[in-house]
Amino acid sequence: MIKVMFFGPVAERVGANALQVEFRKGMRLDDLHQQMKGLYPAAFEIVCFTAVNGEHVRDVQSPVADNSEVVFMSKFSGG
Amino acid sequence: MARHQIEGHTAKAAVRIQQEDFSQDEEIRALRSSSTRMGGIATFIGCARDFSEGRSVSKISFDAYGSMVEAEMKKLHAEAIAKFNLLDARIVHRIGVVDAGEQIVFIAAGAEHRAPALQACQWLIDELKQRVPIWKKEITPEGEAWVTSHP
Repeated sequence: MIKVMFFGPVAERVGANALQVEFRKGMRLDDLHQQMKGLYPAAFEIVCFTAVNGEHVRDVQSPVADNSEVVFMSKFSGG
Repeated sequence: MARHQIEGHTAKAAVRIQQEDFSQDEEIRALRSSSTRMGGIATFIGCARDFSEGRSVSKISFDAYGSMVEAEMKKLHAEAIAKFNLLDARIVHRIGVVDAGEQIVFIAAGAEHRAPALQACQWLIDELKQRVPIWKKEITPEGEAWVTSHP
């Protein structure tokens, strides 16, 4: 399973902080992004960063390993 | 709150997030205790404004991807020390609910001379805003709204 997490404005638009998504062999970050975007289009209008296991990942073609923690994030507003 | 031991005393970590307010005196004292070669210390304090985009703001609520916040802030701390040849630095960010007028974030950079301290302080707050996964929600008398851009 993949643990997908959301924070702040994205979590509000999804209506959840975390979801479990079934892992599929050969899965890439973009596959997961497209799947989530299809389910939560309003939330993904503001998604602009992705983290996998706590690290920024910019290459959407990166493979996603089973049991990963993936976070789709909007622009940060800390500080 | 993250703590570690320094010379037998319990000291607050140089890089951390916490709900409670912080004391800049305490942070500067901790920074200065790291080296007597420090000739310049630059600090930045970010506060919660009571007015934003034409409406009054009574509180700000912060959400954070906690484990990544701490990891990114530690990377920023190490990068700033290397890039500006700092003797040490402190980064403290509050999460949870902060009232208008209260402190949100504290940055301090200590170096042998003023120029790298001042430059590092600005670099740290600018990079923090770009790289650290924290989101603010402004709570106003009319309702609540997540801030999705920051000038």
